[in-house]
Amino acid sequence: MCRNILRNVRSSKEERAAGRKQEQMTDRIPIQCIIPPHMLKELAQKGSPKQRDLALKTLMVSERIRGRREAFAEVYVAPAVGVKCIKVYDAKHGQGLPGDEVQEPGNSNDQAVKEAYDGANATYDMYLDVFERNSIDDRGMCILSSVHFGENYDNAFWDGRQMVYGDGDGELFNRFTISMDIIGHELTHGVTEYEAGLVYYNQPGALNEHMSDVFGSLVKQRILNQTADEADWLIGEGIFTSKVNGKALRSMKEPGTAYNDPVLGKDPQPGHMKDYVRLSPWEDNGGVHINSGIPNRAFCITAMEIGGYAWEKAGRIWYIALRDRLRYNSSFQDAANKTYQIAGAMFGEGSKEHEAVKKGWADVGITIKKK
Amino acid sequence: MLIQFVRTGGFAGLRTAVTLDTDTLPPEEARKLLEMVDASGFFNLPEKFPVPTRGADYFVYRLTVEKEGRKHTVEVSDPVAPAALRPLLQSLVAYARK
Ligand SMILES: [Zn+2]
Repeated sequence: MCRNILRNVRSSKEERAAGRKQEQMTDRIPIQCIIPPHMLKELAQKGSPKQRDLALKTLMVSERIRGRREAFAEVYVAPAVGVKCIKVYDAKHGQGLPGDEVQEPGNSNDQAVKEAYDGANATYDMYLDVFERNSIDDRGMCILSSVHFGENYDNAFWDGRQMVYGDGDGELFNRFTISMDIIGHELTHGVTEYEAGLVYYNQPGALNEHMSDVFGSLVKQRILNQTADEADWLIGEGIFTSKVNGKALRSMKEPGTAYNDPVLGKDPQPGHMKDYVRLSPWEDNGGVHINSGIPNRAFCITAMEIGGYAWEKAGRIWYIALRDRLRYNSSFQDAANKTYQIAGAMFGEGSKEHEAVKKGWADVGITIKKK
Repeated sequence: MLIQFVRTGGFAGLRTAVTLDTDTLPPEEARKLLEMVDASGFFNLPEKFPVPTRGADYFVYRLTVEKEGRKHTVEVSDPVAPAALRPLLQSLVAYARK
């Protein structure tokens, strides 16, 4: 019922994002859709968002509003659209966040500060220049990063508000800002929370990880001005010290080959559905960092089939999927079907790009299902 | 007291594990571990904490403690870990590293 009401009202991108986030949060709560009048008014007033890809318009209308909405929704008061705002904080080896703000992080002599700043900049620029997205929330929100988090901390994470980087233990891991794709990866977790809202568990969680690896890798490829053929498709290159036998944490091109070390073991990522790893729910949230190898390889194959710069076409297809088509509970199969539909709408049925998406997924054991 | 500890997840998705028997540890270390287990109220913690609704690449832990005939397992991740449990988790990560 709600859907029918909402279909006739154009919503802004923010409304869609907010709606989807609520959808995710209410995953297990059987609250049905109640739309307070002020929200309907908001929806009606916000009208058309900035010009979109015309070719996609028809495709998107049916998907424009999908979520259940709730009465207790945060009322979204749209702030003025921001300009680029990137801040870096020093956690000074503590675990309090964000820590002390670093003045002029772009000119810092502290490697981690400078890398966190440059990486956030490069990621912001890619989202704006290539995907016409203004920061994590598409409203120019400040991008916050904290470096020197904890003692010997072997991790980087997104805490729901900001990015956080440890220095590594120095034995096995270097600092987590060392590779620009890690920064693009973390920032993209923020984008995903505002858009598809992929729940961080099992297949949707692995897709969430996949999206972060895709856009993280694209940030690096764009900075290095590499075509799909030239790129190494590695995630976290340089993160291991020389004591570890490994070139990176993950390989999108050849999942399972990034490292093989007596202490750390072997890269466990599969690159095909036949090798999908079933883990207990508690273990890495059901293997979100493991099974992401499968869609990662599908993206890589797609981009190589299309040729040229991966962010221009394959990246665009995946971005539209993330922004407009995937939902909190989407599966690999959903991602395959939707990227294929998007490629058909963007580049034409049977186009090289359309076929490339099909081949990418087919090569990892996923056959596109047409409605 | 017997402790089985596994940490997974994180950006790297690596598994870090350790099993400790306080009977085989130096008395001072054993005492500290027992204190941390007691301070966390371990046996009253829920077995499963919810998956956080926000955030990514955080660590996920599974911790089993056997003490005086009682055995309890807790599955928890960084964003939802109670403050009282954190010192124990940090200490176990250090043991797993050794
Ligand atoms: Zn991640």
